Amino acid sequence: MKKLIALLMVFSLLLSFTACNKYNDISENEQPTNPSAEAKTELTMAYTVDPEGLDPHRTAAASTFSVTNNIYDTLVGVTPEWEIIPRLAKSWKISEDGMSITFALREDVYFHNDRQMKASDVEYSFNRLKDAESPKARDYANIINVEVLDDFNIKFSTETLDVELLKNFAYPWTAIVPEEAVDNLKTNPVGTGAFILKEWVPQQHIILERNDNYYGDKAKLETVKLVLIPDATSMMAGLQVGDLDIIPLTGDQVTMIESNDDYKVLSKPMNAVQIMSINTDNEILANEKVRQAIALAINKDEVIEASMFGYGDKIGSHLPPTSPDYYDTNDTMEYNLERARDLLKEAGYENGFEIKMSLPKNYQLHVDAGQVIADQLSKIGINVKIELIEWGTWVSEVYGAKKFETTVVGHTGRLDSYDFLSRYYSDSQDYISLKTGEVDDLLNQALQELDVAKRTELYQEIQIILANKLPAVYLQTPHTLLGLNKNVEGMEIFPIDIYDYKTVYFTE
Amino acid sequence: MIGYIINRIKSSIVVLFVVSVITFVVLMIIPGNPAQLILGTEATPEMVEDLHTAMGLNRPFYEQYFDWLFDFVKLDMGISYLYGESVTDLIFNALPVTLSVSVFSMVIATLMAFVFGIISAIKKDSLIDYFSRSIMQLGTAIPSFWIGMVFVVYLGLRMKLFPISGFVSPEDNFLEFIRSITLPSVVLAIGEIGLLLRIVRSSMLESLKQDYMDMARVKGLSTSKIYIKYALRGALIAPLTIIGMQFAKLVGGTVVVETVFALPGIGRLVLTAVEHRDIVLLQGLVMFITTFVIVITLAVDVIIMFINPRIKSFQRGEQ
Repeated sequence: MKKLIALLMVFSLLLSFTACNKYNDISENEQPTNPSAEAKTELTMAYTVDPEGLDPHRTAAASTFSVTNNIYDTLVGVTPEWEIIPRLAKSWKISEDGMSITFALREDVYFHNDRQMKASDVEYSFNRLKDAESPKARDYANIINVEVLDDFNIKFSTETLDVELLKNFAYPWTAIVPEEAVDNLKTNPVGTGAFILKEWVPQQHIILERNDNYYGDKAKLETVKLVLIPDATSMMAGLQVGDLDIIPLTGDQVTMIESNDDYKVLSKPMNAVQIMSINTDNEILANEKVRQAIALAINKDEVIEASMFGYGDKIGSHLPPTSPDYYDTNDTMEYNLERARDLLKEAGYENGFEIKMSLPKNYQLHVDAGQVIADQLSKIGINVKIELIEWGTWVSEVYGAKKFETTVVGHTGRLDSYDFLSRYYSDSQDYISLKTGEVDDLLNQALQELDVAKRTELYQEIQIILANKLPAVYLQTPHTLLGLNKNVEGMEIFPIDIYDYKTVYFTE
Repeated sequence: MIGYIINRIKSSIVVLFVVSVITFVVLMIIPGNPAQLILGTEATPEMVEDLHTAMGLNRPFYEQYFDWLFDFVKLDMGISYLYGESVTDLIFNALPVTLSVSVFSMVIATLMAFVFGIISAIKKDSLIDYFSRSIMQLGTAIPSFWIGMVFVVYLGLRMKLFPISGFVSPEDNFLEFIRSITLPSVVLAIGEIGLLLRIVRSSMLESLKQDYMDMARVKGLSTSKIYIKYALRGALIAPLTIIGMQFAKLVGGTVVVETVFALPGIGRLVLTAVEHRDIVLLQGLVMFITTFVIVITLAVDVIIMFINPRIKSFQRGEQ
């Protein structure tokens, strides 16, 4: 027994010693900083989901692209204001018929293995992107020829006219990779980017180190440490004790941060839409009046409040307000319970009906929205039976096999309106589509229309049709929310799922 | 005893085989196509089919299974298609984290359970007995994620006594290692302590009632000798079995605590593998955890045989 007590005492001593040690650390850190001291160059940011490997051509995961965008470069880039800017390509020329595009590449670009990047690397990368194993292959099927003109000029030709072609070269999955390194890209990425991967410990952290051989403006930060913290409370605590400089926030956490001068909040509408998808193969939901009644009975402000604590913008179609082609259709089906009840009566469902709503339980945003909608629909006699399903099952059953009645989910991260809207082709085989064929011609015309203003008009027409026909109820564009230490500057939110640490720096 | 162990190993191999077949079959039956999951919500059916084929997932079930089995026998558990790393490496990277937390929490739970369990049995119906029975109730009733949150907020954030998240390897900094695993271990220990305390207390009470205890008292042995040498030794069997089971359970079941404290252990790896339908990784993890449980159970049985010769002779007779 004495030994036992001695052991316990040693243990408690050890704990108190380590605790004292931490206090010493804190008091050292809290000493007044020397005003002439140089600003910090090591950034620590939290993330919630590990990347699906670091090979940009072999995944569709946003978690991968937010990291790989800093390791690899693409031919062109996009600004937070949606402007397409040069990156590896210093300039480009689109042929008069719009069927080909020629890029002039920078000559001062080197891969992380010190080999110079040439047009043949671009050719190799695009051929790899078009492989069967590439999740994005189909998006580039229209490119039928990649021709190396010389070491620094390369020409892409398409089979049919695609007026939005240039934007397709800005997505992070079009990263340029060196052929000699592709076998291990998933764990040992080799790119031309502003940062080099120093270490990736799955489930723990990713460390990026500045690439001093970068062709453009070098990053101000020396290292970026991304720490995996799946729990939101722990993440918030990490920011407050100073372990983390940037964290993703949920809507309810914003007020905690906003009231404290030590932190700031970065809030910007995502380039995404949250929708309530409706399966029009269902006998009841095939009725347009029923869908309209559902839309009229949903109070989107309440949905936004419940799911994003107000950090979202109401939408009326499948384009986010951030899109240059967005047309405000919010007033087409404004919240009106009386009209909803009338329409339901006209449709022959005066006494209401029962429908199932399959919600992806891994996404609290969609679960919260779905629960509010279920409550709202009960007011017009529609009894919604909620079914929470795990994401893997959701993707296969709801999205893949179309076995659902209604669901709530988000669609994100595309730069051109056609990519957002093309799922509404009547023969698109998508889990939602407008099977009456009303938008088919308009979509075809939009893809062929070289005049930007006319193209925008076509997209507007499509949005008006969607707002009336309602193959889905369009809910909101949620905001991206980041909590930052007050001394972090230069962090921006982009219309595609990327972060760019090159521009981030500390002020003190 | 060697014969007994060999027999147990033989039956373990059968168990492992059955588990591997069941896991493979279950993964084939449950909804969730890994190719669809990788491609996400922008994929067309053709794209899913193409990737499914490229990943070799449309081959006949038995072909995929036997390929995997032959590699497993060669100790090659394949490459995780989520991380692109060897499954063996991923498991062995996560193992030290989970083992550290599990061992530390079992040490805390065992110490507490034995100290309070023995005292409360000896001093039955006293104040300390009521106190330890309250610990029992609390430990069983309070969910570990809640205790975890409370610890994060008070001990980590307010008092700054312990780091809030992450794991520090003992080779990097031993003190930081201890600090990084203390909170999660205490949280886990609280979850385990209730059951263990109850078993220690009741075994000890049972042991104290035995005739040989009276005999020891009559012989005039010292109180401490009576309690420790006779009562406790007789009362060890049930708690040891439970400790073994609890420890084995912890290695595969620390998901919640590993999530709250952002620890890169086995539990989180299992969760990630399930969420991403990473069949290769999941299969490796299931086999690893099964093997671990079998080994621990065997080790506990052997220890118990050493402690209690009656069980040893019984098992010999069984053979």
